[in-house]
Amino acid sequence: MENTSTYHLQADELDALFAHLEEQYLVYAPVRIPSGGRYAQTDSVLYRPVHRYEDIEYRERSTYPMKEVLTPITQTLFYFTEDQYQESKPPAKDLLIFGRACDINAIRIQDQIYLLNGGVEDPFYKRVRDRAKFVLMECAQQFEGCFCCSVGANVTDMHAMAFSFGERDAQIEVSDEAFRDYFSQAKPSDYSIRFPEENELKVNYPVIDRMDMANRLKDHPMWREFDDRCIACGSCTVACSTCTCFESTDIVYTQNAHIGERRRTCSSCMVGGFDQMAGGQCFRNKTSEKYRYKILHKVYGHDARFHTGPMCVGCGRCSARCPELISYPATLNKLSRAIEEIQPEEVAHHA
Amino acid sequence: MVEDCNIKQMQNNCYRQSKVPDEFMLQLRVPGALIDAKWLDVIQHICQTWGNGSFHLGTRQTLNAPGIKAQNIPSVNDYIEPYLKAVECDLCNVQMETRNGYPYIAPRNIMACIGSVHCINANINTQNISHKLEKEIYPNPYHIKISVSGCPNDCAKAHFQDLGIVGCTRPIYDMDRCIGCGACVRKCEKAATRVLSLNDKHKVSKDACCCVGCGECVTACPTGAWKRPNRIFYRIILGGRTGKQCPRMGKLFANWLTEDSLLGMMRNWPKFSDWVLGGKPVYIHGGHLIDRAGYQRFKEFMLDGVTLNPEAIIAESVNWAETEYRSNIHVKPLSKHQTVK
Ligand code: SF4
Ligand code: SF4
Ligand code: SF4
Ligand code: SF4
Ligand code: SF4
Repeated sequence: MENTSTYHLQADELDALFAHLEEQYLVYAPVRIPSGGRYAQTDSVLYRPVHRYEDIEYRERSTYPMKEVLTPITQTLFYFTEDQYQESKPPAKDLLIFGRACDINAIRIQDQIYLLNGGVEDPFYKRVRDRAKFVLMECAQQFEGCFCCSVGANVTDMHAMAFSFGERDAQIEVSDEAFRDYFSQAKPSDYSIRFPEENELKVNYPVIDRMDMANRLKDHPMWREFDDRCIACGSCTVACSTCTCFESTDIVYTQNAHIGERRRTCSSCMVGGFDQMAGGQCFRNKTSEKYRYKILHKVYGHDARFHTGPMCVGCGRCSARCPELISYPATLNKLSRAIEEIQPEEVAHHA
Repeated sequence: MVEDCNIKQMQNNCYRQSKVPDEFMLQLRVPGALIDAKWLDVIQHICQTWGNGSFHLGTRQTLNAPGIKAQNIPSVNDYIEPYLKAVECDLCNVQMETRNGYPYIAPRNIMACIGSVHCINANINTQNISHKLEKEIYPNPYHIKISVSGCPNDCAKAHFQDLGIVGCTRPIYDMDRCIGCGACVRKCEKAATRVLSLNDKHKVSKDACCCVGCGECVTACPTGAWKRPNRIFYRIILGGRTGKQCPRMGKLFANWLTEDSLLGMMRNWPKFSDWVLGGKPVYIHGGHLIDRAGYQRFKEFMLDGVTLNPEAIIAESVNWAETEYRSNIHVKPLSKHQTVK
């Protein structure tokens, strides 16, 4: 990358750097939560504010995605009384968020939904997004189930700095001028940050370029197994870097029905009740229908609207979190085969 | 000619008398029921060299070699010494002489389910706590049956032991991570005690008093809103037993104990037994000792000198429901009463 400089910092210099950064930024990064995992004696890794270099858990993929910093699972948008409302507080400082190439690329997809969808910008997203900068975390090793290279999410230039993590030191590449001053005393280095070039897991990401193919795929028998296998828990979509769905709820305070707040809460197509309309009608009653919707939205629905390819960055969190061991890449491969099956049939049909 | 055998002595060394005169069955203890698979070679060798070639999986999770002739017992004891050293002394930190086989049979093998090394329901590592309990109860001449279950599913039948240990958790709720999906509510209703409900704020309310500590809500939650705290808790189920006279299921004795509280209490078990039996260690089941002393004395002894963690709760009284194979079996002449005066 042009106009970048790289520095080599030791632990104490890194702590000084973080203290310095915190003057202007709320710094968010993956943090290990002891015993936070689904099963006993397993940890989780969550996005949390960090104050020191050693707070950052860089050895493992975060359990939940970076999107939680911009769109928390529960967020109060505004408070209301009879005829007035007050917007909730925006962040106190600018945001500096550590993430990997896939995580940063996922923000582009979040941006599409919250800022570029139907010409309406979501102000509650915009007010944090405008103040957020990203720090790339170099992937020294890959994790089980990563396939960023299959969806082109392995490289990015949307970061202000890049960190190569060591136990007690780090190589830091600075590409955003605004951060240059932090390193005036730092030792230059000729290290260059690398992006993942190849994943062990290779996914043949399906391409559906027309609606009649999508419609034919809806009736394909490949979805049936998920009625028995998927429990519609939503672990995959909550953990997904690129899923964006939420629900809005007005919470009325117990003591006074005219006072309350509007909340935005993460939700998803996999969670029961998500597609329920007034009167109780649901569009996707069977679990296989929910799962099919999720997959086809990632492969086809999003692309049909934005023409930017997969709504997926190959971060692998969905499969890592699925308690029923449903592999999303395996589903994608099945879908690719289903498309191949249908195509020659169609050619024969039209001949 | 039948060889002269002190069968009581042999039983005490973990060789059980067979109906075939002169034959015995060795029972190798496996506290916590998980060992390096290499030891299977050892029990196989014993069965095939000195036993009758068959192998029995003990009902208390011991490794049993039936059909060992009395005259071969010294050779078998030599052969099992490395196993005793590795499992009793190294794994469990038990201080004991290993040259002549097992010194006592009375504290029975500590059973355990597989627990958190494998099971997705588990709250605790059942082996770790079994090893620590083994150090407290072995070797000594007082009988006790302990079993450890990794969660309130109680696959290890803690409800049918003198002291059954159950690994529990006290899930912590992070309201901000909750999406109000109700998965935990449905799970608690289906698998546990129905103490959760979705409230009008689209979040979860909990009737904490009746939470059984299973952690099913944690496992079911898609967002990590429910989380196990970074500490574990134990429940003790007291006085369960099987048998010919009055089998019964154990009852809740203590709940939400930390490891320190649990081990502190267990350290008092030999003292309690010693007191009930007037210093004469006879082979009497632990549960009967509790009967003879009465629950209140038992409780006093077990709690003596123990600083309980603040969460711990203890049964004020315990009312067991027995299956009496002879009705009014407890009604007998005063002279036959065994209650310790
Ligand atoms: S679908 Fe799976 S792999 Fe793709 S972005 Fe979402 S969590 Fe990552
Ligand atoms: S695919 Fe897995 S994680 Fe996703 S809803 Fe189904 S069971 Fe849950
Ligand atoms: S008691 Fe619980 S931890 Fe143990 S095996 Fe059964 S379900 Fe698993
Ligand atoms: S620990 Fe078990 S009983 Fe307690 S709330 Fe969770 S599911 Fe219900
Ligand atoms: S399962 Fe988790 S997210 Fe769903 S209602 Fe329960 S605590 Fe909330």
